[in-house]
Amino acid sequence: MSNRQAFERLVMPHLDAAYNLARWLLRSDQAAEDAVQEASMRAFRYVGSLRGEDARPWLLGIVRNTCFTTLERARSGPQQVEFDDAEFEAALGAADPGQSDPAAQLQRSRTRVQIDAAIRALSPPLREVIVLREFEDLDYAQIAKIAAVPIGTVMSRLSRAREKLRDTLSQMSLGE
Amino acid sequence: MSLDDEELSAKIRRHATRHTAPDALRAGIRTQIALAEVGRAPHPRRRWFDFGSLSFAHFGWRTASVSFALGLTAALFVLPVAQRWNLQQPLDTELVADHVRALHSGPIFEVASSDRHTVKPWFQGRIDYAPPVFDFAAEGFPLKGGRIEHVRGNTVATLAYARDLHMIDVFVWPSDAQIEPVRSVNRGFNVVHWADGSMQYWAVSDVEGAELLRFAQLWKAQAAKL
Repeated sequence: MSNRQAFERLVMPHLDAAYNLARWLLRSDQAAEDAVQEASMRAFRYVGSLRGEDARPWLLGIVRNTCFTTLERARSGPQQVEFDDAEFEAALGAADPGQSDPAAQLQRSRTRVQIDAAIRALSPPLREVIVLREFEDLDYAQIAKIAAVPIGTVMSRLSRAREKLRDTLSQMSLGE
Repeated sequence: MSLDDEELSAKIRRHATRHTAPDALRAGIRTQIALAEVGRAPHPRRRWFDFGSLSFAHFGWRTASVSFALGLTAALFVLPVAQRWNLQQPLDTELVADHVRALHSGPIFEVASSDRHTVKPWFQGRIDYAPPVFDFAAEGFPLKGGRIEHVRGNTVATLAYARDLHMIDVFVWPSDAQIEPVRSVNRGFNVVHWADGSMQYWAVSDVEGAELLRFAQLWKAQAAKL
């Protein structure tokens, strides 16, 4: 099997997962596309080294490294804080659920906007564990391998991330 | 109201946005892989010098002193020549000449596409860096394509944009400098130069200076998001 066939069969099916992770980490369509494209080329080069291993966490690991390199290069300040209030306000304000929706759908999209905004405002390391755990349904060991940190760190990050999200969401529902 | 872990988990899984990869991205990746495969098969890339097999421990001080001597020779002989050459022809003059030549006799682009996922991978294998490629069609500067120019012995990625009937060439190559956009005029052409710590850019065009500066600002804003 050529690299190209292997890539098509093993990697391409996980492109949505790759893009979702990159999009959440980098918070921009264009940056996410560039990161996934770059990561894909790396995956293409090394797809031969993937001997029977599950391709999805492997690919997500490459994507994640590419994204963090991009974030480091941009040296964006908000990485220092665990929760970025300004980013949160902006994300909440930018998304308008629309006026013509029926009430139920309105409530639903309001929930989506709030949850999205709360996740967006997490620092990249906390956002990463949330996306890998809740969207990709990976276990602690897989997440630890992808993020190159001990399992204990994954668990503590996950609980910090959940704490932040819980706080934010409960404050929002009080405000309604 | 406070959610427990499972409720929170369910809420995220149910409501949070799941982003899906755009089709253009899939197509771009497939194109890039096809190009990489074609480019690689007939010409295995061979380096004249394999740094991997060379370890400092094997050669020790001899390598160091030889390297030092080579560096010194380069500094003594090459630098004065390079400096004199620099004085003879400023860089923007050379870039304007490249722009004019491309407009006259072409090609203004060797890869013609308004899709940045086609243009960006085209450079792979042709140059040893990956220039950022943006499309500003929505802002009135549609991407037209890209080509390679040779500037002072370097292979330089060149992107072509249109502004109404004008063409804009953007020459891109690596630099770690940080320079705010500055405009100069050379033989009636506007030249805007800036650098963002990763790449340096020279935009050359006969559009108005203010327009070209606006283009540079759009670019900077877009690159900052990366």
